[in-house]
Amino acid sequence: MEQCASVEREVDKVLQKFLTYGQHCEQSLEELLHYVGQLRAELASAALQGTPLSATLSLVMSQCCRKIKDTVQKLASDHKDIHSSVSRVGKAIDRNFDSEICGVVSDTVWDSREKQQQILQMAILEHLYQQGMLSVAEELCQESTLNVDLDFKQPFLELNRILEALHEQDLGPALEWAVSHRQRLLELNSSLEFKLHRLHFIRLLAGGPEKQLEALSYARHFQPFARLHQREIQVMMGSLVYLRLGLEKSPYCHLLDNSHWAEICETFTRDACSLLGLSVESPLSVSFASGCVALPVLMNIKAVIEQRQCTGVWSHKDELPIEIELGMKCWYHSVFACPILRQQTSDSNPPIKLICGHVISRDALNKLINGGKLKCPYCPMEQNPADGKRIIF
Amino acid sequence: MAVQESAAQLSMTLKVQEYPTLKVPYETLNKRFRAAQKNIDRETSHVTMVVAELEKTLSSCPAVDSVVSLLDGVVEKLSVLKRKAVESIQAEGESARLCKRRIEHLKEHSSDQPAAASVWKRKRMDRMMVEHLLRCGYYNTAVKLARQSGIETREKALQSGRRKPAGRGPPGHGHAGIPAGHAHLPLQGPAGPGPVADADPAVPVRQLPAAPAGEQLRVHPHPAGRPLGHKDTCYKEDGSSRSPDCPVCSRSLNKLAQPLPMAHCANSRLVCKISGDVMNENNPPMMLPNGYVYGYNSLLSIRQDDKVVCPRTKEVFHFSQAEKVYIM
Repeated sequence: MEQCASVEREVDKVLQKFLTYGQHCEQSLEELLHYVGQLRAELASAALQGTPLSATLSLVMSQCCRKIKDTVQKLASDHKDIHSSVSRVGKAIDRNFDSEICGVVSDTVWDSREKQQQILQMAILEHLYQQGMLSVAEELCQESTLNVDLDFKQPFLELNRILEALHEQDLGPALEWAVSHRQRLLELNSSLEFKLHRLHFIRLLAGGPEKQLEALSYARHFQPFARLHQREIQVMMGSLVYLRLGLEKSPYCHLLDNSHWAEICETFTRDACSLLGLSVESPLSVSFASGCVALPVLMNIKAVIEQRQCTGVWSHKDELPIEIELGMKCWYHSVFACPILRQQTSDSNPPIKLICGHVISRDALNKLINGGKLKCPYCPMEQNPADGKRIIF
Repeated sequence: MAVQESAAQLSMTLKVQEYPTLKVPYETLNKRFRAAQKNIDRETSHVTMVVAELEKTLSSCPAVDSVVSLLDGVVEKLSVLKRKAVESIQAEGESARLCKRRIEHLKEHSSDQPAAASVWKRKRMDRMMVEHLLRCGYYNTAVKLARQSGIETREKALQSGRRKPAGRGPPGHGHAGIPAGHAHLPLQGPAGPGPVADADPAVPVRQLPAAPAGEQLRVHPHPAGRPLGHKDTCYKEDGSSRSPDCPVCSRSLNKLAQPLPMAHCANSRLVCKISGDVMNENNPPMMLPNGYVYGYNSLLSIRQDDKVVCPRTKEVFHFSQAEKVYIM
């Protein structure tokens, strides 16, 4: 924030200077032109053609010349003075923003650049489909001559079609979809179908007392959900009482809230994505966002490493030197770090549960074996090393 | 958004990412300033020349009509100066205003409304993608994307900087014309040997080097790919532990992230395979007799008649057979 502010200050100063200079320049040149014009008119009108110039006029003329020269030269030098303000903008940018980030990235990591580009292109394509930017995706396919088969695109196309309809408050396609996937939605414990019916019912209610019969007959759609959503159905039935008075003034006015529409879009996206085995946010955007978080941290630590001259610490190969906090929503897989050796466990060094219930890595277990017996480091319970059981998270 | 970015983190990222965003319009401003200075100097010298001529004739007792005609010349030169000066200053002002607009856009990242901040983040991603697409030479795609995400201001300017076909190597796209037009597109200038429409030879050198650093889209999956993934789980042969949400498990990024370094984790974080919830004191990890661990709450939810079926091996166990596991 501070960086933007300081650059902005310099830019504002430059803008101000341009403005004043522009006005000043125009004004003084205008005046000059006027003055010279007057002189010329005077000379021409005096009908002194062919006669030599009088002394006074000659004096006036030379004064005029001097004035022109002075004004014009001052204009040029004034403009030159603005240069320092302009270069200050550049310096502010250089000071506040980092120009080089390639120190953090090692290019040699990828062996083939074209292949890497291709894979990246695929990832971008996926992202575009997921965002619903179908025309852009088509264009990219054409320009990059990447071939994408239809069944890759198909689920995205359908998803976006339904979402667009939902945005325009058209529940039809969504209901169709929900009914056709009813079984799987139930497995997911999703109440999407019920919510869609509910929204339709509420919309009918908002139509006023004329819609009462229609609303009532629509209510029979709630029947299969009676067990799971009893309370909500009761609330909606209760609201029928206030139909004539108008729902906005009744205790049921919250039903007319617009946020329901946003919520249904979200619910639909979430459920559809889990059904399709997709994540709600495209992998590219999550990667990109994590990169945005990681980049400054890594650059800072690189600067510290260089300052302290201990370059051996980070060898670009195995592990990043520092932990990067991305928030709990990014914990996709379990990570177990052995509390003794402070290392992540792996297939070759799995976590082992001891009899007492404490978990350590196999390497740590082997290190703790003393004369064929093992003492748990946390509770001093003695046990047989062979009794440790490998666990999988 | 899955990744949480606090305002402070966003500021730090801004510092690292947005150098090109501001530097390019600044370079244009600089260029225009110099052009303006040259114009003013040239016209000023013309005026001075004509005035000197007038002064010379004055000193030798001239006739009135010769003075009048010389004065006409002076008037003409002064008008030219005025016109050119006004034009140049306008161009300079425009560049400066472009700088200001970009800064204002960047400032929006720290606005108070959370909706505005997420819109800004989305635009940032789109900006980077457009830049990447331009560097790859996918010109039309970039234009379409820019238009759709609302980050393009004048398509005229884009068309003026027609890019060269992608066959030419990665640096050196003829983007010279483009940086001028956009409020939000942080475009890089041409790198070195690229054919540049610019007359001024100094400018391409001073434009930003098309450092791979600029290819931020490529750079980002690099440090990111690994904070998210772990060698074993995302790369298991049978794909058994794939998680649909994990980006590194997704098809394309999986291959991309393979050679990258892993994330550094000093503390355990356990995630239940059934629910995706964290396993901690509130949801203690429980081990079934086959060695697989799940969260207590998830086991409760899949319990049927006091029995649980391990989702991964399909073995059936008694609920009471689950043992609590202690993670330090």
